[in-house]
Amino acid sequence: MRRFGRLVLLTALALGGDAAAEPIVVRDAFERTVVLPTPPQRIVTIFASNVEMVAALGLSDRIVGIEAYTRYPPEVLSKPLVGGRLGFSVDRVVEQRPDLVVVTPARQAAHQLVDPMERLGIPVMVLLQRDVAEVLANIRLLGRAAGVPQQGEAVASGLETRIAAVTRRVAGLERPRVIMITGRLGNGLLLVTRPKTYTGDAMVLAGARFGLESAIAQVSPEAILNADPDILLFAGNQRDLDELVARPGWRDLRAVKGKRAFAVSRSELLIPGPRTIDGIEHLAAIFHPEKAAR
Amino acid sequence: MKIWIVLLVALVAAVIVAACAGHDWASPADLVRAVSGDQAMRSRLLFEWRMPRVLAAALVGALLGLGGAMFQGVFRNPLAEPYLLGSAGGAGLGAAIALLVPLGAPQSIMLPLLAFVGAWGSTVVVIAVSRVAGAVDTAGMLLAGVAVAALLTALRSFLILALSDETMNLQVVLSWILGGVQTPTWGGLGLLALVSLACLGLTMLFARGLDVLGLGEAMASTFGVNVKRFIGLAVLAGSVVVAAAVAFGGLVAFVGLASPHIARWLIGSRHKPLLPASALIGAIVVTLADAIARSALPPAEIPLGLVTAIAGAPFFIVLLARRLRA
Repeated sequence: MRRFGRLVLLTALALGGDAAAEPIVVRDAFERTVVLPTPPQRIVTIFASNVEMVAALGLSDRIVGIEAYTRYPPEVLSKPLVGGRLGFSVDRVVEQRPDLVVVTPARQAAHQLVDPMERLGIPVMVLLQRDVAEVLANIRLLGRAAGVPQQGEAVASGLETRIAAVTRRVAGLERPRVIMITGRLGNGLLLVTRPKTYTGDAMVLAGARFGLESAIAQVSPEAILNADPDILLFAGNQRDLDELVARPGWRDLRAVKGKRAFAVSRSELLIPGPRTIDGIEHLAAIFHPEKAAR
Repeated sequence: MKIWIVLLVALVAAVIVAACAGHDWASPADLVRAVSGDQAMRSRLLFEWRMPRVLAAALVGALLGLGGAMFQGVFRNPLAEPYLLGSAGGAGLGAAIALLVPLGAPQSIMLPLLAFVGAWGSTVVVIAVSRVAGAVDTAGMLLAGVAVAALLTALRSFLILALSDETMNLQVVLSWILGGVQTPTWGGLGLLALVSLACLGLTMLFARGLDVLGLGEAMASTFGVNVKRFIGLAVLAGSVVVAAAVAFGGLVAFVGLASPHIARWLIGSRHKPLLPASALIGAIVVTLADAIARSALPPAEIPLGLVTAIAGAPFFIVLLARRLRA
C-alpha cells in the first residue's frame, strides 16, 4: 500500500509541475515551429556551441549525442558521436532515440539533418548564434524548449549582468584599434575577425574598435601590416603567434614592438556560447589593463 | 539477351545490398518489414530515408551513364564525359548560390533547381558562343566549353570566398561539388523516375544519328544528316540528361566516363542498345558507390564523387588493361 502511495505521488509529480500538461512550442532560427509534446529528455546537440548552451542550463545528463569536434564540457565527451568533419549520420542520430535534435546550419548539419528528422517526426531545432545577442536569446529559447524556462532566464541574465559590468568599466575609455587573427590559410592569407560576428561583438563589448574592416574574412598579411593596429590578437597558441610576428615586417608593427600582441583562447572566442562571456572579460583585461583589477 | 538479364539482376542485387548498407546495417528481413508498413522508428528510417536515397542513387547513376554515352557518341572521343561542356562549372555556381545566398525559398527546392539551371544553362551558353564564333563543330564547342567552364568556376570560387565565414560555409559547397545524392521524398523520387524515363526516351531518338555520325562527318552528310544541326541538338539533349543528374546527385566523378566504355565492351557500339546498357551500368556503379559512401566511415559520409573516383578508377584501369591485351 505504501508502495502504491509512493507510485501515485511519483506519477503526480511527473504529470504535475509546470510543463508536462501542454506541449512546448518554440520558433527556431529558420522560423520553423517546433512542437515538443513533453520536455525533451534525450537531446542530440550538434556543435560545441549548442552543447555548451544546453550544458550551461544544467542539462548535460540529457545529452545523448554529440559531434566529433565537441571538446567541452568534460561530462559530455563520452556521449555517442553522431557526426564529424565529414558530415552527420542520420542513422546514428536515430539510434540514440532522441526527442530533440539541436543543430546550427554549419558544415551541412542543418542540410543533412533537418529534412530526415522532420520526415521521421523527431523534433529538430535550428539555432543561429551569429552575435552575442543571439547567444543569449538562444540560451533562453533552449531553456523554454527543454521545459526549464527559469533556468534559461537565470543563466542568460547572469551573463548579461557580466557583460554590463564589462561595458560599464570600459565606457568612455579610449578604444584601441585591434585586429584579431583567427586562422591562417595555406596560400598565406589570414582570417581576421569582422564586425557583426559574435567574435567581433566580443571585441567591441570589451572596449576595442576594429583595426581593419574587411568585407571578406581572408586578408593578405600586407593589409594587416598596413593597418598597424594598437593591439594584435591571435586566436591560438603562443608558439604560432611568436612564429608569425617574428617574420620580416611583423616585427615592426606597433603592437609587436609595444609588446601588445597576445594569443587568446579559441574556445572562448570562436565558439559562440556561455564561454564567450569569459572571452569578453579576458579581452577587456587585455584592452584596458589599467581597469582590469575589478 | 543474356547480358540484359545479367545487368538487371546485378542492378536489383546492388539496390538490395545498398538498402541494407548504412551506419546501422539492416537485414533483408528488416527491409521487408519496413516496406510492409511497420511503424517502428528504425523501419520508418529505412522506408522514409534510406530507400528513396538508394533508388535516387540508381537513377542518378543511370542519367550519368546515359549522358556519358551521348557525349562520347557526339564527340567521338573516348575521353568525352558528361561535364565536358561547362556543366560542372555552371552547376557548381548554381549550387553555391543556392547554398550560400539566402533566397527566401527552401533549399531543398533551390539547390536542385539552380544546379539544373546552371548545368544546362552553361552548355547552352557554350553552344551559343561557338555559334557566334562560327564554329559549331566539336572542336569549337570543346574550346568554348573550356573557356566557359573556367569563367564559371572562377565565379563560383569567388562567391565561396566572399560569402564563407567562420562557420565554414566553404565546406558546404565543397562537399556538394564532390557529389552526394540528395534524399528525395517518395514524390520527388517519382518525379526523378519520370525525368529519367523521359531522358532515356529523348536520347534514344538520337541513337541512329549517333551511329551514322560514328562513321565520320562526311559519311554522315551523305546519309542525309545535317551534321551541325544534329550535333547541336544532341549536345542540348545530352546536357539536359546531365543537368538532371547533377540536380539530384551533385557532381559525381568518373561514372559518366566509365559506364559507356564498359557498356561498349559488353554489347558493342551501336547506340540503340548502348544507351540503355550504359544507363544500367551507371545505375549499378552509383548505387554501390553510394552504399560505400554512406556506410564506410561511420558516423561520417564520404562524398559520393570521391568514392566513384577512388573505387572506380582502379577498377576501370584493370578492365581497360584486360581489354587492350585481349
